Amino acid sequence: MKKLISVILTLVLLVSCLACFSACSGGKAGFKVGFIFLHDENSTYDKNFIDAANAAAKALGLDEKQVIMKVNIPEGSECYDAACELVDEGCDLIFADSFGHETYMIQAAKEFPDVQFCHATGTSAHTEKLPNFHNAFASIYEGRYLAGIAAGMKLNEMIANGKITAEQAIIGYVGAFPYAEVISGYTSFFLGARSVCPTATMKVEYTNSWFDIALEKSAAERLIGSGCVLISQHADSEGAPKACEDAKVPNVAYNISTISIAPETALISSKINWEPYMKLIIEKTMDGKGEEIPYDWCGGLAEGSVQLTELNAKVAAAGTQEAINAATEQFKAGTLKVFDTSKFTVKGATLTEYLADVDGDFKGETNVIHDGYFDESAKDQRCAPYFDIIIDGITVPAAN
Amino acid sequence: MQRDHTQKKRREPLVYITKRSELSLKQSLTIRACVILAGILLCALVTILLTGVNPLRVFASMIEGSFGTPRKIWNLLQSTAILLGISLAVTPAFKMRFWNTGAEGQVLVGMLASVACMFYIGDALPSWLLIIVMLFASILASAVWAGIPGIFKAMWNTNETLFTLMMNYVAMQLVSFFIMLWVPSGSMVLGIVNPQSKNGWFPSLFGQQYLLNILIVAVMTILVYVYLKKSKQGYEISVVGESENTARYIGINVKQVIIRTVLISGALCGVMGWILVAGADHSITSNSVGGNGFTAIMISWMSKFNPIVMIFSSILVCFLQKGAGQIASDLRLNSSVGEVLTGIMILIIISSEFFVNYRIHLRKKQKGGQEA
Amino acid sequence: MSKTAIELRGITKRFGSVVANHNVNLKVYKGEILSLLGENGSGKTTLMNMISGIYHPDEGEIFIDGKLAHIHSPHDAFNYKIGMIHQHFKLVDLFSAAENIVLGLEEKGKFNVRHVSERVAEISAKYGFDIDPNKKIYEMSVSEKQTVEIIKVLYRGADILILDEPTAVLTPQETKKLFDVLRRMRDDGKAIIIITHKLHEVLELSDKVVVLRHGEYVGTVNTAEANEHILTEMMVGKKVELNITRKAPVNPQDRLVVEHINCRNREGIKVLDDVSFVARSGEILGIAGIAGSGQRELLEAIAGLQKLEEGSILYYNPKTGEEENLRNKTPLQIRELGVRLSFVPEDRLGMGLVGNMGMVDNMMLRSYRKGNSIFLERSEPEKLAKQIIEELEVVTPDAETPVRRLSGGNVQKVLLGREIASSPTLLMAAYPVRGLDINSSYLIYDLLNEQKEKGVAVIFVGEDLDVLLDLCDRILVIGNGRITGVVDARTATKNEIGYLMTKTVYKEDANDAT
Repeated sequence: MKKLISVILTLVLLVSCLACFSACSGGKAGFKVGFIFLHDENSTYDKNFIDAANAAAKALGLDEKQVIMKVNIPEGSECYDAACELVDEGCDLIFADSFGHETYMIQAAKEFPDVQFCHATGTSAHTEKLPNFHNAFASIYEGRYLAGIAAGMKLNEMIANGKITAEQAIIGYVGAFPYAEVISGYTSFFLGARSVCPTATMKVEYTNSWFDIALEKSAAERLIGSGCVLISQHADSEGAPKACEDAKVPNVAYNISTISIAPETALISSKINWEPYMKLIIEKTMDGKGEEIPYDWCGGLAEGSVQLTELNAKVAAAGTQEAINAATEQFKAGTLKVFDTSKFTVKGATLTEYLADVDGDFKGETNVIHDGYFDESAKDQRCAPYFDIIIDGITVPAAN
Repeated sequence: MQRDHTQKKRREPLVYITKRSELSLKQSLTIRACVILAGILLCALVTILLTGVNPLRVFASMIEGSFGTPRKIWNLLQSTAILLGISLAVTPAFKMRFWNTGAEGQVLVGMLASVACMFYIGDALPSWLLIIVMLFASILASAVWAGIPGIFKAMWNTNETLFTLMMNYVAMQLVSFFIMLWVPSGSMVLGIVNPQSKNGWFPSLFGQQYLLNILIVAVMTILVYVYLKKSKQGYEISVVGESENTARYIGINVKQVIIRTVLISGALCGVMGWILVAGADHSITSNSVGGNGFTAIMISWMSKFNPIVMIFSSILVCFLQKGAGQIASDLRLNSSVGEVLTGIMILIIISSEFFVNYRIHLRKKQKGGQEA
Repeated sequence: MSKTAIELRGITKRFGSVVANHNVNLKVYKGEILSLLGENGSGKTTLMNMISGIYHPDEGEIFIDGKLAHIHSPHDAFNYKIGMIHQHFKLVDLFSAAENIVLGLEEKGKFNVRHVSERVAEISAKYGFDIDPNKKIYEMSVSEKQTVEIIKVLYRGADILILDEPTAVLTPQETKKLFDVLRRMRDDGKAIIIITHKLHEVLELSDKVVVLRHGEYVGTVNTAEANEHILTEMMVGKKVELNITRKAPVNPQDRLVVEHINCRNREGIKVLDDVSFVARSGEILGIAGIAGSGQRELLEAIAGLQKLEEGSILYYNPKTGEEENLRNKTPLQIRELGVRLSFVPEDRLGMGLVGNMGMVDNMMLRSYRKGNSIFLERSEPEKLAKQIIEELEVVTPDAETPVRRLSGGNVQKVLLGREIASSPTLLMAAYPVRGLDINSSYLIYDLLNEQKEKGVAVIFVGEDLDVLLDLCDRILVIGNGRITGVVDARTATKNEIGYLMTKTVYKEDANDAT
């Protein structure tokens, strides 16, 4: 019995020593960055952020002790708690990856003005105007437009082969929520496709979830069943590509290359690469210039924030890569605009004015149409998309 | 021939189990301590096999995750308060053997009611009054949510396990519906309500924003303890739970007790929903309860419906959960590793009951024992 | 002479110190129906369970077709073509008849509904069953369920059929149909054993009767040579003197008058059929009957736990002299009327007490409502628990030990002690000495006598006729939910009661029981 007690005591002592050691040891390094992720690397959405964070840390020579990652943080007070704990652990910069984290990050940002808080996909930094809270996004609509070109070329090839008639060039799109980010996404994809295949039309299905393999798969199957000959998506699982591979329908995915999942049908994916942004915020904060981080940062093709994954040569139509390259150059030069109002109509009319809800109060207040285009993610506005118009040629579910 | 046959059949098994008679407190504590120690060693073994990381580092990380800083201790207490509160809420129903698997949904509709108050009348009332209105709205919503399956059980003897479980999904969809209604942009994220005015937020006590939550749950613990152990209604719950026939025999109106108890259970869930909104999230998502409604069932049973024991069970489970998160963060291990260890510890603790109640014998060597 | 189907020689089975069967011999030929007759607890079911492989005999041998058989499991019994139809059906409610019939059968190939249905139809036609193989069990009447059980056994090729009280749950019409079927099976060469205690059925159906009493083998008679009186005497045996002191009732007055009450169970079968009787103060009224004849329902009806269709239960309050009708009142309403009714139910731990609670909490069951406080008052119940421990010599570590841990006798003392403590004017006790040793039993008798002397009207449901005859003043005999007779316990004989117990009275309107 005495032996047992002594064994237990020794164990407790050892454990508590170690606890102390691990807690103290981090203190010597100067700079620390903390990350808050909604899920862990099992989610493709979070994996994209985790990979970027690791790459940025490696590139900037941060060691393991300087990077703290908290995974599986829900969109509630847990996010605020996690941010505070990261501050306690000495973080100078804290990044959160989910839309629902935003208000909790702001809460923490107000409490700790000396720490920089950066948040992806959020919409409030430009209205909150806190010096230490920043939003970021990317002009992913440009990437989708380019992926749309690959899809349009594929449709042209199918028409040329006599597989479908010009009128049957219907694209199916599996979207998450009827929300500006998604609407902006599928509209840009559609405009890209129609820039090469003028007869293309689009049907949209919403899953009302960011990640649901079964729902996404069945939505894709429904779209295919209703005559769609090409599928794209804005949801985070591989449900839709799998359904397409089974039905032998070409498809375009998001954030990850799906060639390994659908080798016979995956065309290309657009993705946001967060590494440039992560590098930027870490560098600025390390240099003590955290306030210089833009309150609303929108990365594009030029910065390498928007990328396309490898084109699947087996599936793509001839000349696709060249067409994409040409459009990319035009984007970089500023000569091509995704939401060029001369290229689409709304209820038969060309848009000349549109009050978008930029400040997030659910009422449109800012005219974002000028110089013949809808200015998505404008520099002095906000980075998160606000294009929420259903244009002609796109059919969305009636009640939603 | 025949004798041989029967002899063979009646051979003693290699291992057999007998029920122990009453153990002294010291004995039972010793058994529990041994079992927990064995659990720690098993966890260490599993850690080495799965990850190759020094298990002492893992344990250090776990302790660090809950007790590393004062804030971590506060956060541990806050999580404990929430889990304990929901466990207390399900306990009257479970003590009555009403399988309330719907605490998740009951807390959620309570939260929804509170958020709705903040959303619709958040600016019209002073904060203290709003908080009180929120409390009553939450209690009402949750009691209704629990009461529906309760009434069906009492009147038509429907299966409450399935019914309450299904009500969870209805609650989640209801929350989605209201968020869709409140957030026209379609992003499905409500975010913090009243971030500027802080109307409908609990005040910080002594600079600690979770202190009030913890105090309310502490009071709730005492009240539930007294209600279950000392009140006539608590006694009726025990009788109905143990034997419905006995309850009828002594003239307890079983239907009435079922409905009353389920309403109380639901109302307590409502209080917890209110605390979650006013004292922590100030918002709602369809996943705001985060599985606590189910973990609470385990806590309640593990503690044999004793509110005082529940305090310790809740701390333990929250400690393990926080520890699992810290392991994932410190050692860059997949968070599943932490969850595996948590699972092993909980399993071990539950199984310690077995060793407290039963004795395991190995077969003795000498033969002919069956004649005795 | 036809061949022996099954023979038992010197079968003995003990459960601990209780001898359930002692040296039982029995022989059934092919093409013969044998009745196994005996009172409750005489060991009939235990004996049959040994044939069907559920128990294994401690001593003795079983021969099947003249050869020594080793039956260690129901599976072995099945291989010896023995099929048992239990009193409680073992069917899956959501499955159809055909599915239940083949359930657990290790047949090769796929389950073919049509094939099964054909064979079921074949068996039905042969023996005259009337069954739809595709009907689900939950849609069936009790008699149909029984039919499925019988076909299940025949489907498996059983040649020896054992039926445990098959008519207990049937209406007279259904019973007649069953008997026709059984006769046809007999003519087909099957050996049939039916367990029963209904004499007229024994005489009507069987070829031979084996009588058991208290686990002992009493004898075998050919039905042709038997009559009800011979069988009753074999069943109940000679009177044994017990030396229970019995005083004459002092000034008996009507305390409870039950008139024409009727009650149906969940299956819609009449369990109380036009029951009328009077219980008087200062008197012990015994109720005798085969188990399950309606005793439980009768007491529960008086205690407010059974819904009645007709009749009245009048209680004369000795204090106020008022008359109250207790029919369809809840137990709480009955108490609120000031009726001092105490009830010791048959199921002590399942109804009278809460097994997981200690004595103090169990004392509170009756008294916890007292007072306006919302909190429990524990000092009175504690006192009462201590008092009962002392006066009735309850063996328990302390008053907080869960009562399920106590021995059967002590549990009964706790229950009876509590019920007597509320100074009742009417005390009902169902099988209060069941499972108790001799000393505890006498203590219970003394307690009941004490109550009687205090002027309490005592109703005592018993199974041991010797006890009934020595303890009670009058004995009410109940059979099949009907009162078959009321006798004076001082003059009646065991045979007389045994005969009344097994007598079944059919009324013209008996067919409304379907």
